Amino acid sequence: MKRLAVALVAVMALSLGLTACSMANGSSGGKPTLLLWVDTPRVPQATMYQKLMAGKETIKIEVIAQADAQTKIALHNRTKSGWPDVIFGAAADTAQFLDPSNGYAADLTNLVSKKVFDGFGQGNSDCKFDGKYYCLKNDLANTVLWYNTKIFKDLNLTVPKTMQEFADTAMKLKGTGYSAGAIGDQNYYASFVQSSECPLAAVPTKNTVRIAPDDPKCTRVAQLVQPLLDAGVVDKRSSFDAGFIADVAKKDKVAMTIGPSWFGDFVIKPTDSWGVPAGEIAAAPMPAWGTGSDNKSGAYGGGVFTVSAHSKYPQAAADAAVWLTTSDAMATATTTPTFPAYGPANKLWEKRISTDPYYASNPYPAMAAGANNISQVDRPVRFAFVAQIGAVLQADINGGKSLKTALDDYATSLQKLAPSSGYKVLTK
Amino acid sequence: MIAPYLVLLIAFGIVPVIVAAITSLEPSVINPGGGPLNYLQALQDFRFLPALGNVGVFLLLYVPSMLIVVALMSLLLDTVQGRWNVPLRLAYIVPASLTGATAVLVWYFLLEPTLSPYKDVLHALGITQGGQIWRAPNLAWIFALMAFFTGAGNWIVVQYGSLQSISDDILEAARIDGANAWQIGWRIKLPLIQKYVVYMGILVFAAGLQVFVEPQLISSSVYPGLASNWSLNQLSYSFAFQSNNLGGAAALSLMLLIVCVIGAVFVIFKTDFFEGAGVKEK
Repeated sequence: MKRLAVALVAVMALSLGLTACSMANGSSGGKPTLLLWVDTPRVPQATMYQKLMAGKETIKIEVIAQADAQTKIALHNRTKSGWPDVIFGAAADTAQFLDPSNGYAADLTNLVSKKVFDGFGQGNSDCKFDGKYYCLKNDLANTVLWYNTKIFKDLNLTVPKTMQEFADTAMKLKGTGYSAGAIGDQNYYASFVQSSECPLAAVPTKNTVRIAPDDPKCTRVAQLVQPLLDAGVVDKRSSFDAGFIADVAKKDKVAMTIGPSWFGDFVIKPTDSWGVPAGEIAAAPMPAWGTGSDNKSGAYGGGVFTVSAHSKYPQAAADAAVWLTTSDAMATATTTPTFPAYGPANKLWEKRISTDPYYASNPYPAMAAGANNISQVDRPVRFAFVAQIGAVLQADINGGKSLKTALDDYATSLQKLAPSSGYKVLTK
Repeated sequence: MIAPYLVLLIAFGIVPVIVAAITSLEPSVINPGGGPLNYLQALQDFRFLPALGNVGVFLLLYVPSMLIVVALMSLLLDTVQGRWNVPLRLAYIVPASLTGATAVLVWYFLLEPTLSPYKDVLHALGITQGGQIWRAPNLAWIFALMAFFTGAGNWIVVQYGSLQSISDDILEAARIDGANAWQIGWRIKLPLIQKYVVYMGILVFAAGLQVFVEPQLISSSVYPGLASNWSLNQLSYSFAFQSNNLGGAAALSLMLLIVCVIGAVFVIFKTDFFEGAGVKEK
């Protein structure tokens, strides 16, 4: 049963995308009633807001599965009533919601103060579509380099600062039994393909998507990582694969892995997951692909709050979304699981993780360094970009196909999929 | 006498079909004008043929195995008329309680080489990694396995019930004529319950054609996206909720209904389904 629990925890960790915080302004007349739809990890912050507003607003909370957000909104679009005032989901949901064919998402540009948007820095860029803001980012899941200080010391390795150094360091693990991580899931996209700024969901103009797997920024990824895969120093399985966990991770054989900011707390640390002993793990800034601005992070997860364009209390609903993503109370709560997107909030959140004795050193600086440097080449799109990762990219990698073939197959599937959501596709 | 049935048929059968027919002509992002083009676009979608192939393979595995195993097991159960009969019937039904999400979890657990209670068997077969099991070419087999074990037990008990309707006089006469147990089962009992087996075949086919829960759940939990748009019903779901194309979704659903109805009508008129059941032929 314990191993089943491992699998369940892994699934839950995957679904743990995001969190949030602050500034309740005035709202429209009468005592507003707001309906919030959140997933389970976001219930504590929603409940905090409910208590805070007791007597001033009636806040109703309903728990939904994040994956159901689009479905449920589509059904309410059908009945033309019953929409939640605020919903938690992925930025791709917002891309869908703001399309005229859906019409659920409210334009927040004038409902939320400039000060809040400024506080986000680039942290809210996923919510910016055609110059307007349609959601507020809850948490960031930018990729960093997680490494095992004990193994690095034993093997006399230095922490890589560039992707080439990462590859060179990984190659030194050949024959030692140590691993440079597993790439057979969405992490390959986030940590390598997206950070390389390979255009697979670039949106040069509205309703046009550029999916160009032959771009040099795409081909360089396979060129760098394929030899590592062939040498067996990176694993074709997923970081959540029960076999990888049993054969490699649980034996404390992962010397380093690139992964999102939540990897430490939700994948590496839990005894039901990798269970790496305390005092070994540290985070370093995301290795750079090139020089100058060619140093982006990818992102694996990170959720948003979207406000309803149908709300009777648009200002109150927007204020709720602001509080949920920016408040000090949210940032300092022990129930806030992941790196808040709002700058001032994540500085408060730092206190929690920086004092965690589990880590060999404070992982916050590495997380913060990449937080405002996530690649903006691929944008949230209306078609099922992430689901296709599992259906094609991950399936190909797990199945032993070459990384180039896997990426080409994935890109081809996206090129076919995008028109059904009304996109014109550029392949070059 | 027929009124209660008619009310339900109209409320939950005919009205939804009419609503779907109207919806199927609605405009969408890719068909701003609406109309019958929705049907063509559903068929032309790049995911349609793979999904059709998946469901076809699934049906080829699922329907015959259900018919054969259920018929055999219910005949066997019918021969066990002692104190073991009731516990056996109960035992057949137990797996049917594992449906939907539970079945997916249980089968994930059983088939995952690192976690499975049968991992030694899996290892002996050379299967040491989950990736060897959970891959696209195996999915039809896995889903057929899940559907079979959740469905077979119920049907065994139902067909056992239909075997009870056979008159003891007929079986007695067969025994006096020297028929052995096998001959009685194959030549007497099975032909006599044929229409119930046909009925089961129609329902199993219709359920199989609409396979949705197993691939959808495995895609949204353990292996994200592994079987997304694997079945025709999932594709319909994607049309409706990912592409804001309810017209296409309704069109595809109606086409599935037509296939089911044609299949059922064909089977009914190719067999003596209504004979002796109080329904006269025209």
